[in-house]
Amino acid sequence: MASTNVTRAAPDWLRVDMLLGVVVRRGPLIVFGLLLVGLAWQAPNLLSATSIQSSLIQASPIAIVAFGLAIVVIGGGDDVVVGGIDLSIPAGAALATAIISDQLTNQGSSFLQAFVLALLGALTVGVVNAVLVTVVGLTPILATLATYSSVAGIIKVLTTNRRINVEHPTILWIRDESVLGVPVPVVIMLLVFGVFGILIHRTAYGAKLQTVGGNLDAAMTAGLSPKRYVASSFVLAAIAAAIAAVVLVARGSGMSPGIEDRLLVDMVLATFVGAAFSARNVVTIPGTMMGAVLVSFMSNGLILNRVDNSWVDGWKGALILIVVTAAALQIRRVKQ
Amino acid sequence: MTGLSTQPPARSLVGTASVWLIKYAFLLLFAGMVVYFVTQTEAFLTPSNVLNILRGSVIVLIIALALTVVISSGGIDLSVGVALDFGAWFAIVAMASWGLPWPLALVVALVAGSFIGVLNAVLIVGLGVTPFLATLGTFFIGRSIQQIGTDGGANINYRQAPDGFVALTQGSFFGMSMILWIGLLVITVYFVVLELSTHGRRISSLGMQNSAAKVAGIDTSSYRVWVYVSASATAAIGGILLSSGLRIYTPLAGFSYLLDGIAAVFIGASLHRDGRPNVVGTLIGVLFLGALGTGLDLLGIDFNVKAALKGVILVLAIALALLVSQRLPRVEAFFDRRRDIASA
Repeated sequence: MASTNVTRAAPDWLRVDMLLGVVVRRGPLIVFGLLLVGLAWQAPNLLSATSIQSSLIQASPIAIVAFGLAIVVIGGGDDVVVGGIDLSIPAGAALATAIISDQLTNQGSSFLQAFVLALLGALTVGVVNAVLVTVVGLTPILATLATYSSVAGIIKVLTTNRRINVEHPTILWIRDESVLGVPVPVVIMLLVFGVFGILIHRTAYGAKLQTVGGNLDAAMTAGLSPKRYVASSFVLAAIAAAIAAVVLVARGSGMSPGIEDRLLVDMVLATFVGAAFSARNVVTIPGTMMGAVLVSFMSNGLILNRVDNSWVDGWKGALILIVVTAAALQIRRVKQ
Repeated sequence: MTGLSTQPPARSLVGTASVWLIKYAFLLLFAGMVVYFVTQTEAFLTPSNVLNILRGSVIVLIIALALTVVISSGGIDLSVGVALDFGAWFAIVAMASWGLPWPLALVVALVAGSFIGVLNAVLIVGLGVTPFLATLGTFFIGRSIQQIGTDGGANINYRQAPDGFVALTQGSFFGMSMILWIGLLVITVYFVVLELSTHGRRISSLGMQNSAAKVAGIDTSSYRVWVYVSASATAAIGGILLSSGLRIYTPLAGFSYLLDGIAAVFIGASLHRDGRPNVVGTLIGVLFLGALGTGLDLLGIDFNVKAALKGVILVLAIALALLVSQRLPRVEAFFDRRRDIASA
């Protein structure tokens, strides 16, 4: 009867510190999972086919802008003050929704023309960010916070702070139809996911972008020009904003003032929660996709449970903190 | 012939003028803007309007000073707006609902604001979360708490505020408005601590080279805790002034001060020789923003257009200030080389 022998003979996966390690590393996912199970327990409707479908449709604009943020974070590194961040993506997306809605409803343009103009609008924001960060040398957080508020102001001027309804057939098709049983917004999200996922994780460009963000000295030694990659990440983020705008116009059947505010919260949450899905706790495109889906499932679950709207922000803030705390504790463990 | 003089000969007149122009480019822009407003509006430079600009800038100044310390220490605090809201909220709640006398209400407000800073400090120093994400999290939670506490964001009116509380902003002392005295007091304390004491240099060293600061024996953790707690407490003072001036608490009002505060700090940093955040630079940044806002109002510009215009001018001004300060060494070197060639 040697109990010590038994413990010693226990397989690796049973060792307490290993288990603790898994719990710490996967802490955010465990918390998220428990929360979703709890929400589904209270409101079983959450797991019905229609509810899953609506959660995925809701996730699509969040995921698309979050891919943009993920690319900027991957290229800019995760330093506190000078690292990559782009808070202006939701404002760029809101600007694009305003342009699309105005073109389709007030100017009678074709969908293609409206989209091209919206893309140009969003790209302008992206290029301004890129210039401010790489040429002028502003820190990304200040540059994009400033462009966020400038663009939010410009949108108010353009729309005189009023809603614009859209009843264009293409927009209605995106809103109501499905391709092979998958709703069109979800198809768009998956397409963007595929393109960005391959670009960042399967091409030379993506590998170099990750190098620039992960280790600036190594990137410069290898002869890369970091500024070019950082600038390109802001342009890619702007393209993501324009695509998200199409889905946003379809979802809301038009443009409503103030959508950038809500989108900002969800975008940041999806991107940084998504980091918990990667092996090394870094921001990736597939992780971001999972993050966006989880965020919209949670929002839906809170609504189905009739949680007061005022609490939703608090829940999201608490989640950000739980996720990033778990990540910080893991880094501390690795260092020890 | 330079002889034995250790003093290098003066640059040419063109060189001196160019270096001077670049060094003071932002201040020249500021002066040009003031001249433009003076020619376009009659009221801009009247004493009462100048006083208005100063009085209107005090709360932004207080937030910007709080951020100066945080950014100087190499961090960021997105939750100062929430700390301001908590100060504004609890000052009114303490008097209106709890029936406390107003001096005690001030203490309650400061404690409530500091609570945000304590939460930030636990996350950043205790758990090692990055300041951006930690303060973003407290920002969301603080916003939610305000919405829950006010039934979704309703204002709290407090028309019968005690005279002493209202006098904090509207009273006067030795012929100067009380709010200006408070602003002067806060900036003096910040100037002494940040620019004149060793504490200021140590906080700055955290931001420049944290590991070197540690090796030098500085207790970086406790300095960092103080930075975040004092930033929130300072923001709460701004909240008290806001409540005292309006006699209303409006939930989520603090957020609008965040961008102006950050912008003022970065304008100030770009005016500094080494690009560091500093108290005097922050003051210049705040005054620039105050003059810009008031000038646009006096021009009679539509509210929405004003918001857009202010954002755009802000981006341009910061870009100019930073671009210019980066070019200064190169321009100086260029004229020094020309001078050396000429004297050789």
